[in-house]
Amino acid sequence: MNIKNQFKEGLITNNPVLVQQIGMCATMAITTTLFNGIGMGLSVLIILTCCNVVISALRKIIPNEIRLAIFVVVIAGFVTIVDLLLQAFIPALSKSLGVFIPLIVVNCIIIGRAEAFCQKNPVGASFFDGIFQGLGYTCVLIIMCVARELLGSGRFGGGLIDVANGFRFTLDGTGAGIQIFPSKYGAAILNLPFGGFITLGMLIAVMQYALKKSKKKKELAARLALEEAERKEAEA
Amino acid sequence: MNKIMKLALVLFLVCAVTAGILGVVNEITKDRIAEINRLATVAAYSAVLGADGYDTLDADTSAFPTVDKISLATNGAGHVVELTVPGAQGLITVAVGVAPDYTCTGISIISHSETSGLGANAAAQSEVGRSFREQFIGTDENVALTKSGGTIDALSGATITSNAVTTAVATAIRAVKAIG
Amino acid sequence: MLTSVISISLAAILTNNFIFAQFLGCCPFLGCSNKVDTATGMGLAVVFVMGLASAICWVVNEYILVVLKLEFLQTLTFILVIAALVQFVEMFLKKAVPSLYSALGIYLPLITTNCAVLGVVLLNVQNNYNFIESVVYGITGGLGFMLAIVLFASVRERIAFSDYPECFEGFPICLVSAGLLALAFMGFSGMRIV
Repeated sequence: MNIKNQFKEGLITNNPVLVQQIGMCATMAITTTLFNGIGMGLSVLIILTCCNVVISALRKIIPNEIRLAIFVVVIAGFVTIVDLLLQAFIPALSKSLGVFIPLIVVNCIIIGRAEAFCQKNPVGASFFDGIFQGLGYTCVLIIMCVARELLGSGRFGGGLIDVANGFRFTLDGTGAGIQIFPSKYGAAILNLPFGGFITLGMLIAVMQYALKKSKKKKELAARLALEEAERKEAEA
Repeated sequence: MNKIMKLALVLFLVCAVTAGILGVVNEITKDRIAEINRLATVAAYSAVLGADGYDTLDADTSAFPTVDKISLATNGAGHVVELTVPGAQGLITVAVGVAPDYTCTGISIISHSETSGLGANAAAQSEVGRSFREQFIGTDENVALTKSGGTIDALSGATITSNAVTTAVATAIRAVKAIG
Repeated sequence: MLTSVISISLAAILTNNFIFAQFLGCCPFLGCSNKVDTATGMGLAVVFVMGLASAICWVVNEYILVVLKLEFLQTLTFILVIAALVQFVEMFLKKAVPSLYSALGIYLPLITTNCAVLGVVLLNVQNNYNFIESVVYGITGGLGFMLAIVLFASVRERIAFSDYPECFEGFPICLVSAGLLALAFMGFSGMRIV
């Protein structure tokens, strides 16, 4: 398992949301502004990486019978640390994500990676797995946020970008974002729960379409190569 | 039996270490979080009623279950009422300033979980949000939305949120009247 | 008191449904809704655990964590309480009510990682609910979950026979139909007991 492979797996071929189809709740709930999406994505990335490293380092000492209980305690510990730090240093983010920060504890991505990957792999590989799976998750959140925000209220980068007095990034979540078209022409329904379900559904459908297409292409290439070889053989 | 004891010991140790680390992090962040929360409340209060200090009154508000607390401005500019009312998606906490003549001096939304782009506009620092909140300045306890015959224009697509805020303002003024 | 209980129940089941408005518990909602039978089993198990978890966590929070000023340990404690509770309920049902156990059995372990359960206990704390309100919120939240998952399962049984684009196979078509159900539930959002 090399790094390049892991990168590809995390972002595309084994993306936690689009392919493994776990960690749905937060994906649909908080993706209303870019600020929320990036904040949530990075929080999960940090927690996932820390948990992966700790669990992988302890993998030989953890008794098999109570491994899940220990995973949960480690995860809950890191989640609480991130929760407290967010409350202290980025209160706006902590406020707008609300109960979904502590709920990272039961996000299947983290416990799923602990069970499926870190138990069997060394610390280094687990570290990169955490980073790449976290990045894959963050990318999905960002795509969802951008799509919902743009189509729903005609904005880009809500909470994160402010253009009122020149372009600047606002880390306190107060920026109004860039208004691309007036919000009254947006499909406000995408901001509602309905929009979360639909956008994620469409996204996964596109992903499945793309994966299927690339698989077909590969099969076609393989068949052509085979035919070529057969032809050559016949010629010989 | 020995095996179980060993498992319990391992689990206990992991829990203890985690709790210890959390204790340290909590110790570091505790004061900052408390300060941030206090500043947020003060900012919300001074946005609705200009004063240099606020004393929380020990008034009986059992007739107004949505009222959390009523504070008196130290300079006699009036009262600030903090209420929590149900909105479209969850609870909305609002601070309402009430002048001595029982009119609203302004409102400020302390926390909410309304839909982004619709109900959340009530709290937003945008043009839409500000003009929505400024409508309440000078209103009395009979404040109502235009569709109920009042003067407040509801936020588009967010009647429930607008109605919740309007009810909160009316309740706040009645509560201040009730305690005199 | 009665009004607050009624309005909490109404919100938890209809207007602020755990699945369709708050997105809590989506994983089992999408994972266990192939058949109406399994969905009912999962729903019942969730109602049961959410009610119990709300009660126990309220007591733990009020009389241990708040007293000792250990509120920062809430998440950790609650998840451990829920995990232990699920484990305990499983053992108890196995011994005492085997018929219920065989109906719920396989769903119980899954509930530990159901974010609706941890969500409801955290929301109870956040909303400052008292003991009765917490338990009511837990049970009715569970009922809301059950309503959602049973309705959705019956929709899915029909989806199996319908014709949709190939790339929507599996999760996407489920998400789209869940979205439409969420839209239907939005119709309740005007309801309120004042």
